[in-house]
Amino acid sequence: MKQEQFEALHAADWQLFEDWLADRQLSRKNRKEPPFPLHEAALRYRRICQQLALARDRDYALATLDRLHNLARRGHDELYGARRSFGRRTWDYVTAGFAIDVRAQWRWVLASFLLLFGPMLIAFIVVQIWPDVAYLVMSPHDVAGMEAMYSDANQHLGRTRDAGTDFGMFGHYIFNNISIAFRCFAGGMTAGILTVFSLLFNGLFIGIAHSRVVLAGFGDNFHSFVVGHGTFELGAIVLAGATGMQLGAALLAPGLLSRAAALRTTARRLIGTVCGMAVMLFIAALLEAFWSPLRLPLPWKLGFGTCMLIIVMTYFIFAGRRRGS
Amino acid sequence: MAVLTRKTPAAGAAPSALDTLRPVTTPELIELQLRPAGLLPRALAFLLDFGLRTGVLVFASTALTSLEGFGQGIALLLWFVLEWFYPVLFEVLGKGATPGKRALGLKVLHDDGTPVAWGPSLTRNLLRAADFLPFMYLFGALSCLLHSEFRRLGDIVAGTVVVYAEKNTGLPRIPEVEPIAPAAPLDRATQRALIGFAERANTLTEARREELAELLPHLGNTYGTQPANRLLGLANYLIGRRA
Repeated sequence: MKQEQFEALHAADWQLFEDWLADRQLSRKNRKEPPFPLHEAALRYRRICQQLALARDRDYALATLDRLHNLARRGHDELYGARRSFGRRTWDYVTAGFAIDVRAQWRWVLASFLLLFGPMLIAFIVVQIWPDVAYLVMSPHDVAGMEAMYSDANQHLGRTRDAGTDFGMFGHYIFNNISIAFRCFAGGMTAGILTVFSLLFNGLFIGIAHSRVVLAGFGDNFHSFVVGHGTFELGAIVLAGATGMQLGAALLAPGLLSRAAALRTTARRLIGTVCGMAVMLFIAALLEAFWSPLRLPLPWKLGFGTCMLIIVMTYFIFAGRRRGS
Repeated sequence: MAVLTRKTPAAGAAPSALDTLRPVTTPELIELQLRPAGLLPRALAFLLDFGLRTGVLVFASTALTSLEGFGQGIALLLWFVLEWFYPVLFEVLGKGATPGKRALGLKVLHDDGTPVAWGPSLTRNLLRAADFLPFMYLFGALSCLLHSEFRRLGDIVAGTVVVYAEKNTGLPRIPEVEPIAPAAPLDRATQRALIGFAERANTLTEARREELAELLPHLGNTYGTQPANRLLGLANYLIGRRA
């Protein structure tokens, strides 16, 4: 069959398919009556594919090939772009998937936990014995500011006096903490160096600050502030570290895969955890901005913090068990 | 099915060594060509998006200063969302393109040619933080320049590729002249060249047409005059316009 005949034979079909594609580009409520019933779409798309293959084989004109190729590509986008409902997937992930994912990478989570809490504990003890060691990491000005944030004279716990309102601080925590956690994950691309550094540094910093505030005699205030949101915040930092290190490991030791493929499969596995981590930090920011600064009796705060810890641990240990891994 | 056994160069495909096409085979066993976009259009798209984001942020912050602490919180939240999720939302919900990419005719696809989904889009945009290192997207730019499909680190990890969006192409018609049967059978490459010449004929100047036609003296120059017209006649014959 010659090109002209071929075009004449199929022109109407191509036009119909093009109309359908154009119709699909419109938003749902603007769509007109589709040019053919939806169930014909796959059949018509396959026909276009076959015609493209034929046209290529017969060396028809470039413009004809281009047009068919174009129709096939756009049809391909429509047919293979369909996704399962977003809400349903999110719900599944929140109720089970996240916990399953975190359990599956427990070795990394443990390593990250040690890299964060190890330096924290050491720094705390060292500073208790030699308080001046703090100045190796923090400037005297920072130390003084830290102590002032938790002093009895401060009306809002955990904030400098000129800090904004609760909501202002909420925005600040979201922007700061979640961005840092995302960078901790992406930092895995430096073979994990940035990730590990950020875990160690955060551990040291928190340990020193904690120790100095306790030495200054405001330990109760400090604990009252951090205990509510600490589980979510530190837990999320640990997860950020775990994901970043796995990315780094995929880069360093891709095993039987090529580096690009190892990175791709690892990232696909981790992206859910990264989202879950961001949600944990969101909850932490809510608590840190609106609950933690309240001056309530210490036992209440401790009780609340313990509840949070139990809830989070229960979730990670038990959620999704029945579904298997 | 000859399609399966023999590989034909497809629409617009120059020899693969010269071109940057990424062929993707669909389940229907045809090949789609994606045309990855290089550093420059992508950088321009980024700058457009960056300008847009900064504009929105500056505008919102000025409007929100009257609200003091509350407004500051809103502004920071807005900044956070614009920084990390602006590209994700546009890429997934807006047919693969942020406003900047759309302006430059680019879009993001999975490397198998399907539209980008939430996970990969999020991955590639979170990894912008890695592309940014050590400063001013140096890693990203280097990766883009070194990769055969111009991918930045985020694209490599997410398995995505930024390509030129396909445009709607009409059918430029081959000008109708008296069909001329070739004296001897023509091989495929020659047929392809003739038809390609004929369909571009309308976009070429008279002089250029003749100049090109003279490159095929054995086909065009038989009668001495107007070799281009003779080539058009041959092309007309080849596509089936036979008297």
